[in-house]
Amino acid sequence: MAQTTYGAEGTGGPVIEAKGLGVSFAVNRRRKRSLREMFIHGSKRDPNAEGDEFWPLRDVSFEVARGDCVGIVGKNGTGKSTLLKLIAGVLMPDEGEVHVRGKVAPLLELRAGFNDNLTGRENVYLVGSLHGMSEKEIDERFEEIVDFAEIKPKFIDSPVRHYSSGMKVRLGFALISQLEHPIMLVDEVLAVGDKAFKRKCYEAIDRMLANQRTMVLVSHSEKDLRRFCNRGLYIKGGGLALDTDIEAALDAYNEDTKVEIAERKKREAEKKRAAEAGREDGEGPTGGQAA
Amino acid sequence: MASRTLAVWEHRKVVGLLVRRDLKVKYQQSVLGYAWTMLEPMAMTLVYFFVFGVILEANRGMPADAGAYGGFLLFLVAGILPWTTFGQILGEAPRAMITHSKLITTMKVPREIFPLATVGTKFVEYLLTWPVLLVFVFALGGRPSVGGLLLWLPLAVVLTFMFGLGVTLFLSSVNVLLRDVERLTRILTRLLFYGSAILFPAAMVLDSEDVPGWAATVFQLNPLMGIFQMHRTVWFAGFEELTPTTLALTSSVVGSVLMLIIGYWTFRRLEMSVLKEL
Repeated sequence: MAQTTYGAEGTGGPVIEAKGLGVSFAVNRRRKRSLREMFIHGSKRDPNAEGDEFWPLRDVSFEVARGDCVGIVGKNGTGKSTLLKLIAGVLMPDEGEVHVRGKVAPLLELRAGFNDNLTGRENVYLVGSLHGMSEKEIDERFEEIVDFAEIKPKFIDSPVRHYSSGMKVRLGFALISQLEHPIMLVDEVLAVGDKAFKRKCYEAIDRMLANQRTMVLVSHSEKDLRRFCNRGLYIKGGGLALDTDIEAALDAYNEDTKVEIAERKKREAEKKRAAEAGREDGEGPTGGQAA
Repeated sequence: MASRTLAVWEHRKVVGLLVRRDLKVKYQQSVLGYAWTMLEPMAMTLVYFFVFGVILEANRGMPADAGAYGGFLLFLVAGILPWTTFGQILGEAPRAMITHSKLITTMKVPREIFPLATVGTKFVEYLLTWPVLLVFVFALGGRPSVGGLLLWLPLAVVLTFMFGLGVTLFLSSVNVLLRDVERLTRILTRLLFYGSAILFPAAMVLDSEDVPGWAATVFQLNPLMGIFQMHRTVWFAGFEELTPTTLALTSSVVGSVLMLIIGYWTFRRLEMSVLKEL
């Protein structure tokens, strides 16, 4: 039975537990068929549909203990973000289960929930409340948030659509870093703003981690991963290839990447050679001269 | 199911926030925000009054002595104001999930709250039409009764929004997978407007000799027809012709409950695919 459950915090055991996790997407016209199936055939699946399914992630099992910072590495399109979404509960698994103990702060998209027509202040209150902060909590931290985001007081009451993209992202990070959820899911959002702001972000994350909070981080930046993570999951082709410390995971990933680049070079060289050979055959002496 | 309802209840604050946000965005941009939203139904009422009342004489379906209690004009206003709200629900329903895709794909909340917030916003806007409606009722001399205010009015409002929520749950999820729904809805809204007898008394159809018996039955099976008759009968107490027939009343109640069940069932059924497509 595929499911996602959320329990209370502090019951012991792993904070995040995934068992045989899998999710399938429809390719081609399958989704339209699924609509038709729903109304006509009920839940029975069309057995011929198998070939149209694509599993970005399948049979993934792991546990994350309290206080861990887990880095997820892998090529583009191997299901890293999908895995994060499954943990966050914004995507439901087709197979297996995820158990999450404690509240989750999904830092999947820093600007999520910001409304362009509202002012910075209104947005802070709106998004903060959406994430479960009380009005009093936001009142107390408002100064700090605006200060951290480096937004000049005269701009905080103008609509967010007049903000630069940097200002929006900074405000988003400043707000979300105030959340006190014990589990944080981060998807490539560490590197926001300019150099000086980035440093502030890193410090904020260090503070959060020191506080016995659990973090799952998807990133392509080896520097970030090495800096924060103590564990690494290497996702390859939709499955969990390695579950070790971050160094080993990165090494395995780099090794595979090297092999792949070598293969691609070899293929290109072969193609070139084949093309040249073809030219020689076709054009006779001229081609031979050029070579 | 019960735990899911509980989860939605626990997130009622989020629904409130979304409703407040939508209203704020809508009304802060223009100074005359409220006046504008009222201007459209008022202008339409005037047009319909001249076209249907004066030129086509649809008012001949009104009871003879109703003229003293507001007549055809009050009849139109009392129908068009709630219909405007309902039409807006139909208009926004298909996009209720799509417009929130960013939030839905990053925040773990029961997904039902987004259609709920859309309908909630419309409910507040419906309440805002009341001052205008009351002005017309008093100016034209509508005849409300205690029974009408205690029975027909609450029933009409509850059924309107129950039906609206069902439709929104249904359309918002199906439209994610099949975007044609949005256009289809626009056409259906038009048809329903005329099929629900907003511009003429339903008795004109029911008592007409040109309409065969089965057609009259089908006409009364449209739950919206009965619902909007209720909205108006509140101000025309004692006029049998303007009160829903037993069949119309039954189909309104059963139809609304059924629509909510179908809508919710579809929503839950499609939830997994919808999340993947957003």
